[in-house]
Amino acid sequence: MLVSGHVPSRQLTAGVIAGFLGVGLATAILLTIALRINDVWSASIVELVAAQQLAMQQARAAAADGAAVAPIPFDWTESARRFITTLLGGGLAWSWLPMIAGFAVGASGRAVIWSRTRRTPDVVASAGVARTFQNIRLFPELSLVENVTVGMDRRLSTGFIGSLLALPSALRERAQARAEALKLLQFVGLGEKAEDAAGNLPYGHQRRLEIARALASRPDVILLDEPAAGMNPTETVDLMRLIRAIRDNGTTVVLIEHHMRVVMGISDRIHVLQYGEKIAEGTPTEIRNDPKCIEAYLGKEELG
Amino acid sequence: MAARFASFARGQLIALGALALVPLLDLALPAAGMESLQLAGASRSVVVFAILAIGLNIVIGWTGLLNLGIAAFQAIGAYAFAILTWENYPFQIGFWPALVAAALIGALAGALLGAPTLRLRGDYLAIVTLGFGEIVQETLKNVEVVTQGTKGINPLPAPFGLTSDRAILWFYAYLAILVVVVYLCRNLEFSRMGRQWFAVREDELAARCMGIEPDKAKLKAFAAGSALAAVSGALYAAALGSTAEPASYGFEISILALCIVIVGGIGSITGVLVGAMVMLGITDVLLPLASDKLQDAGIGSTANVFSSPNNYKYLPAPGRPRCSTPSPVSTSRPRDACWSRAMCPAGSSPPA
Amino acid sequence: MTETEVFFQQVIIGLSNGMIIALVALGYTMVYGIVELINFAHGDVFTLGGFLALTIIGALGAAAIIDPSTLGDSSNWMLLVGLVLASGVFCGALNMSIDRVVYKPLRRASKLTQLVAAIGVSFILVNIAQFWGGLPMEVFNDGVSATAPKDFPDVLDWQTNLLGEDSAIALRVEDVAIFAITIPLMVGLTLFVKKTRLGRGMRATAQNPVAARLMGIDTDRVISATFAIGGFLAGAASVMYAVFNNSITYQQMGFRAGMDAFTAAVLGGIGSLPGAMLGGVLIGLIRAMSDQYIETRWTNVVVFGVLILILVFRPSGLLGLKQREKV
Repeated sequence: MLVSGHVPSRQLTAGVIAGFLGVGLATAILLTIALRINDVWSASIVELVAAQQLAMQQARAAAADGAAVAPIPFDWTESARRFITTLLGGGLAWSWLPMIAGFAVGASGRAVIWSRTRRTPDVVASAGVARTFQNIRLFPELSLVENVTVGMDRRLSTGFIGSLLALPSALRERAQARAEALKLLQFVGLGEKAEDAAGNLPYGHQRRLEIARALASRPDVILLDEPAAGMNPTETVDLMRLIRAIRDNGTTVVLIEHHMRVVMGISDRIHVLQYGEKIAEGTPTEIRNDPKCIEAYLGKEELG
Repeated sequence: MAARFASFARGQLIALGALALVPLLDLALPAAGMESLQLAGASRSVVVFAILAIGLNIVIGWTGLLNLGIAAFQAIGAYAFAILTWENYPFQIGFWPALVAAALIGALAGALLGAPTLRLRGDYLAIVTLGFGEIVQETLKNVEVVTQGTKGINPLPAPFGLTSDRAILWFYAYLAILVVVVYLCRNLEFSRMGRQWFAVREDELAARCMGIEPDKAKLKAFAAGSALAAVSGALYAAALGSTAEPASYGFEISILALCIVIVGGIGSITGVLVGAMVMLGITDVLLPLASDKLQDAGIGSTANVFSSPNNYKYLPAPGRPRCSTPSPVSTSRPRDACWSRAMCPAGSSPPA
Repeated sequence: MTETEVFFQQVIIGLSNGMIIALVALGYTMVYGIVELINFAHGDVFTLGGFLALTIIGALGAAAIIDPSTLGDSSNWMLLVGLVLASGVFCGALNMSIDRVVYKPLRRASKLTQLVAAIGVSFILVNIAQFWGGLPMEVFNDGVSATAPKDFPDVLDWQTNLLGEDSAIALRVEDVAIFAITIPLMVGLTLFVKKTRLGRGMRATAQNPVAARLMGIDTDRVISATFAIGGFLAGAASVMYAVFNNSITYQQMGFRAGMDAFTAAVLGGIGSLPGAMLGGVLIGLIRAMSDQYIETRWTNVVVFGVLILILVFRPSGLLGLKQREKV
């Protein structure tokens, strides 16, 4: 390739090669150390926060009535599968999410906590737990279909090189993902708007898109954080229909919700929480007639 | 649908085509009896800086990471390329291998800087990259044994045996590299990788909850951007036949790249191509034409600030060093002498 | 000089430089705290303060001041204070008008837009400084070379060693003057932010601009005041810098000093006033120690290396608050 006048002598002596190998090795070691420090650092945070949270829960429970309460507040076994389970509770309901997520991850055997640490959410997500957010968090500048495809990410296998060179396998995967995303959009009723930017959608549709995105990861469990918040009655009815359809497709739904019509209308099981502790558990009918719950949450007017 | 993604966008084809036609003016104008504008050299700069800005666009436009030190990676690429091709070093591996090696070294440097720092919030990352830019510059200047200090490594062999009088051919060779770069980046844009980057940019937490690992995605973006910057540096050094002094890869260049990205519309490769033509059209074609008039008006320095790096020279020597033994550094390279009192080693007392 | 004496000499130099850096850093951190903008032009506002001070000296007649026999006079102290005030007011007004003219219309624009606007302002100010340096005045070498560094005359006695003539460690009037001017400014600023109504407005706006506006705080006025105060501190710092270094130049003051100050602000945790002060002093000390014990030419590398290391382990700076996102 060298076309210049004189042919250079390539004095690649053993010393030079050894020097370069040395530099390369040193760089590699440095990089490894840097990444490792990062991992150890974040892992330590994960454990620390998890331990703190558990201790806090137990302390809170112990302080409440002097009795030891199991840190995992409800039975997460086959019996709960493919149900719509609602957590009905005050401001502390969200603090239960970690417990559920932790048990769904299961294998790791420790409570993994949503959004509390640097690395847990993607670990949780890759274990098959998807979620939506109380205050909608879409990718506003991406199109609907792209939003949903992002949700699929954990199931895709195209790597950097495949992406860079547009290898046939990458192109095939991309086409498949796109088709599947369009199908999901149809399922939640947004099929016609597939190419619009997500940020331009009306509120109710944004919620549906978020649910579609969560479903795209084919989760075992989907956590819906106050999906009916801010919805008008028509949208709410549509939402309930959608949630039922998700359950019927074989996904366990966990709901955090205050909206009584939704809670009572679609829940298979309800867990009632007060100040972070469970005060009752049962079907909607049982909960409706539980004096403790009436006192704590529902209020007399609501029951009529 | 796949075909649409893998091929070039129309805007990109138009921009590349327009760029390809520009140097023909060098042939057309003299033929028409007018003075040649020497556009081939300027167009070559457009290619070099377009590649730099495409790299920056991956980092800043697609992944949303504020990088103010992209010129550092250009410097790393230029020096890596120079060291691998210079006749006084034993490697002399030729243009293409050195170009690829420069890209890999740039990617490695980007990963090295990125691994510990990418979790910083936007402005903290900005200052870290800015600081890294300074570190690279100063280090290149100080390690004179390897980098020849402010002299720069030169002369470098011309690629493809091209000499400066074949500027047009040289430009088309560079343009071909740019076409490949645009093609690859377009692949990235519409792939899983690009989608991860966009998701991280739009909402990092939501992306994380979808199972994307933002740290890995960011690291890849940073490495890819740095690799392109390094390619740009290698092409720059090859075109100049020299790395030029380390100060040529300063903050101004990072900002020039940022301006190219922004002028054309952030996040768009077509925009970067247009931005590079506009910005370098101003700095390399219009300003030199106008510079005589500007100099007369006493504001010629405006041209310097944005002008191509080798034009940017720092002025000599502060007036009156307080130290009884003025350090050689303070006289030859005033950029070091920020807090000039601190320049006095404590052993030396001020002159009485 | 013994090793210990060398060390303490460097501590004095580091502290003096550090106090100046801290003053500039306060301007960065205050503006960032309120509008989340890296005010890249701040370093150049700082430069222009030095040019104004030199112009004033030129206008007053430089000869009287440079005469070594009058160096210890109290009139020189008054001149210094006068310069600090004049330069401070000028820089405050300049900073405030930059905000009004450039940043305010962009308040709702993306962060990147604002940042690029700030960098643009910085470049404009650099050119103003070059132009200013070409003025036909004696202090500017009659505009012989507009861009060359300008000598700044001695305002204070820099020869007497306050620790006694035989002491190996030099503590000069200039060092003392820096502390005598910067420390009251910092204390005053802290009290202002803590005690006054406007200061409370600043803290409220920094935490939540929308809520502050709803509570009846005139946030535009608060922002203007913040820019003005930051500019004032930069102006004061620029006079101290000029007196201390006897030379002003747009190249080293604007970008370089601005970088050091911004690094200091980030090091201390941007948005935090005590953080900026701590960061400034730390940067000054690190520079002095690196100059002495490593090598001057590696000092910038050391400073930024330390910065990166600290940010890796404390991502929000030394005194910055860790931000958490609740979902």
